[in-house]
Amino acid sequence: MFTDPISILLFTVTLLLAVMSIIVALKLKARESAAVVAMQIAKQDAEEACHALDSAKIHACIDRTHRRQVESVFNVLRDAVIVIDAHGEVLHVNEIASGLLNVSIESATGKPIAEVVVDHQLAATISDARSGLPKEGRQYEQEIKNDGETVAYEVHLQSVGHQDEAMHAVVTVLRDLSREREIALLKSDFVSKASHELRTPLSSISAYVEMLVDGDAQNEETRQEFYGVITTETQRLQRMINNLLNISQIEAGLMHIDRIRVDFQELVERAVTNMKPQAKEKNLEIHSQIAEVDLSIVGDGDMLYQVIVNLLSNAIKYTPEGGRITVAADTDNLTRSLHFSVSDTGLGIAPDQTDKVFDKFYRVENYRHVAQGTGLGLNLCRHIVETLHSGQIGLESTLGMGSKFWLSIPAERGQRKAA
Amino acid sequence: MTKAHTILIVDDEAHILQVLSLKLRNCGYSITTAVDGEDALYQVKACLPDLVITDVQMPYMNGLEFAHELSKDSKTAHIPVVVLTARGHTLETSDTDIPNVRKVLSKPFSPRGIAELCEQLLANVPIRASEKRDAA
Repeated sequence: MFTDPISILLFTVTLLLAVMSIIVALKLKARESAAVVAMQIAKQDAEEACHALDSAKIHACIDRTHRRQVESVFNVLRDAVIVIDAHGEVLHVNEIASGLLNVSIESATGKPIAEVVVDHQLAATISDARSGLPKEGRQYEQEIKNDGETVAYEVHLQSVGHQDEAMHAVVTVLRDLSREREIALLKSDFVSKASHELRTPLSSISAYVEMLVDGDAQNEETRQEFYGVITTETQRLQRMINNLLNISQIEAGLMHIDRIRVDFQELVERAVTNMKPQAKEKNLEIHSQIAEVDLSIVGDGDMLYQVIVNLLSNAIKYTPEGGRITVAADTDNLTRSLHFSVSDTGLGIAPDQTDKVFDKFYRVENYRHVAQGTGLGLNLCRHIVETLHSGQIGLESTLGMGSKFWLSIPAERGQRKAA
Repeated sequence: MTKAHTILIVDDEAHILQVLSLKLRNCGYSITTAVDGEDALYQVKACLPDLVITDVQMPYMNGLEFAHELSKDSKTAHIPVVVLTARGHTLETSDTDIPNVRKVLSKPFSPRGIAELCEQLLANVPIRASEKRDAA
């Protein structure tokens, strides 16, 4: 094919060039492939990074959502909640705690507990609780000063985290005990008054029985008088116990009442008839001013009768001999309610005592020796009228000029007789 | 027997006044009564009793305030006072820490027990001449 040296040389050179070109081309190709791979890896890395970033954002978003949810839950609570981390820095205080500690929620977050809680004892206790074992809570009572006022709190501390860690986050819940203390005081006051009022007739019964046993009643007349006192005081005790039970049942929402249409006029007339003998003993006149209208209402007849009798009985007890008692009943078209009142020309009640007469065991001090009472009658009346019949009861009085006890009860449906 | 001593009974409960008066009269004492602290102060000045039995819860002036008033006056500070209370455990010891209050009794009480207590508290109290005359 090529015999001359020049041709051979040219062919060789051409061949070499071709081979070199191929090698170069192959090398270039190889570099391109490497770059593509690198680019692909880089792209993959970038994609992963983007994904990770998205994921982090999502997680942060979820964290924020969770945090907001948790904060919302804390803020719903009526107790103060303080959460610190294992380093003793505040993670969160709820709105009640913010008010108690006099710091904003934002400014408290991230600060050491000692800077947020001014009360040193409480701050130290919360901080110390970080070393406590999770699930082992601690509870104690402490008084905390806030705005110059000292308030008793129940402090509940609970560390949160893994057992193998030395320090833990701590959730502190502070419950204001003011209301509980107030209720305890009211209960104690009630028991004290109830004890006093129950012991008084009991004292009479016990003393008169002992006198009879010891023969201190030396004639039949005295003995009969003693039997009378024992009977009266036993009845008083019985009324007191019945009233107490009725009031407590109404207060507990356990009192069953019969809601039927009741003729209030008939109740008033019956009560006046039954109370007239007592009034006559004191030479008292009872005047009725009953309107010529339909006075029927929906309610419990027995309970309403008891209210009328209680008000009449009080008027008779506290009106001096020869006085006048007026019972009045009418309806009010505007408010669609029944109005009833008992007025007397009795001793009257001072303005500072008019609101208190409906309280349990409240007795107008200068009335105690005038007549006996349970101290519960008016309270029961208020419960029957206001709690059971959605009405209102009240008193208008001038000291020395007599009193007017009034009540109004919604008629529920118009009952005025057609003219 | 130290009879014809004068005892002032103070209570706003008529039945208690009646039963104690009768029991102590039956024992031979001279009895005066009052229905509240103010009335009782007036009675003390009028009859200067040898012993006072008073309820705690009364209108105008309660029994403890009344006992305190007696303890402040040199003419009445020596009169022993027996306090009757229906308040039970709610009456603090500090409330009755008045020098002339010799005994605090819870209601219900025994008239027999009260009579024995009067006997005991008046054992060394001489009967005044005027009382002897009255008793005679």
